[in-house]
Amino acid sequence: MTIKWLLYWQPNSGTAVNSQILTEVSQCVESINATKGGRWKSSLTYYRPQPKDQSMPLTDCPRDLMGISLQEQPNKFYFIIRSQQIVLEADSMLQMIMEKLQSYRSRALVSFEGFLYHLGDFQLRVGKVVTTQADNLRGIVMEVEYLPISSIDKSRQILEEFFDMWQEIVSKKSLPGIFTHIEANYADYGLLDHYTSQHTVVQYAAMMNQLLATVRT
Amino acid sequence: MECAVEGIIETQNVEALEILLQGLCGVPKQRLRVHELCLKSGPNLGPVSSEVRLLCNLEDPRPTWTVRHVGGAMRGAGAEQISVAVRNTVESKATKNVLRFFYALGYKLEYELLRMGFAFHFQRGAQIKVTVTSTNKMAKLHAVDEIMPLTPGIHLVEVTAPASADNYSEVVSAISSFCEYLAPLLHLSKPGVSAGVVPTAGAAASSLTSDRGGKPL
Repeated sequence: MTIKWLLYWQPNSGTAVNSQILTEVSQCVESINATKGGRWKSSLTYYRPQPKDQSMPLTDCPRDLMGISLQEQPNKFYFIIRSQQIVLEADSMLQMIMEKLQSYRSRALVSFEGFLYHLGDFQLRVGKVVTTQADNLRGIVMEVEYLPISSIDKSRQILEEFFDMWQEIVSKKSLPGIFTHIEANYADYGLLDHYTSQHTVVQYAAMMNQLLATVRT
Repeated sequence: MECAVEGIIETQNVEALEILLQGLCGVPKQRLRVHELCLKSGPNLGPVSSEVRLLCNLEDPRPTWTVRHVGGAMRGAGAEQISVAVRNTVESKATKNVLRFFYALGYKLEYELLRMGFAFHFQRGAQIKVTVTSTNKMAKLHAVDEIMPLTPGIHLVEVTAPASADNYSEVVSAISSFCEYLAPLLHLSKPGVSAGVVPTAGAAASSLTSDRGGKPL
């Protein structure tokens, strides 16, 4: 049983995320007596369709195919196509099948890495968003995991209360931005109220969409 | 990677083959009712045309879909000399929306089949799997209860075993030795190289079924 809310750092307009903010956020987690656990890392790959004839672009193929691997599900691999609201859970071997098919090629790899913290019934993962092409910081991500409940509806209140408390703690640091949570519409993907790793994948894809939109503006 | 051979047998001799396999393997048979979808990449997708199979055994208590990719068989003078195909295969379990996922990627349905029969899994020098199935097509798309035989009066027999680059020659030997036991009833050869039915299979089958006298072997 578990449920997660994914938060990401939204910098104030005109400011950018930097490693000092990540350090201060990590200090905030430690200030609420969370116990530092091990390292944590998940990753996301963007795929692009490969046309046979380069002069004929593939207009009917999705350009937002993402593959996601989560540390807590090491033998699984997830694909998500946001434009068509499809999230697929498979064994990690599906990644190899995709390589052999050659119809889609990975074009960018994004990693989420940091530390895991234990706090009573909560587990917090705080880390940086980095691309493999350039190891510089692209964002800050935080997973708030509540262990006793797996119903999205039933856990909403407690997670909202935690989120408010967390915002208050971070606001005391007067950092140039805030943590944001995206309300993902799981039903569009055919997902139910019982939380699964597929829900986490939907949140990661939504967050990346937001992060990219922020970078573009 | 896997080693594979296949052959055909007349349906009237399948009972005898089952008796023979039961005696050789000493394990209970697994019932098969496999829904198979073969998908092919769209005309301009991928530098080379690619194919993937989606398989689901409807007899399983909790049927799940498997994505299967079969690569080309090993070639060269050494491969020509052996009577077993050594080919790259990759399989991955996936959630039930896997067909929708591949359609979204730009794959088209090439054909759809329902394979009905049984399988034996056992250890005999390698982890061998023997499947004996009739091949059926469907009257309507995905109508697994409205089927008609594609090859009336004929069952397909496939013998496969997982292998690796280090041990495939031992696996080839294990399969070849096992196939000798089945020789009175069927010829097994590399997939795609049909050796036809054994003319004297009927007599061998009669002998097997009468010897049994209705008693378990």
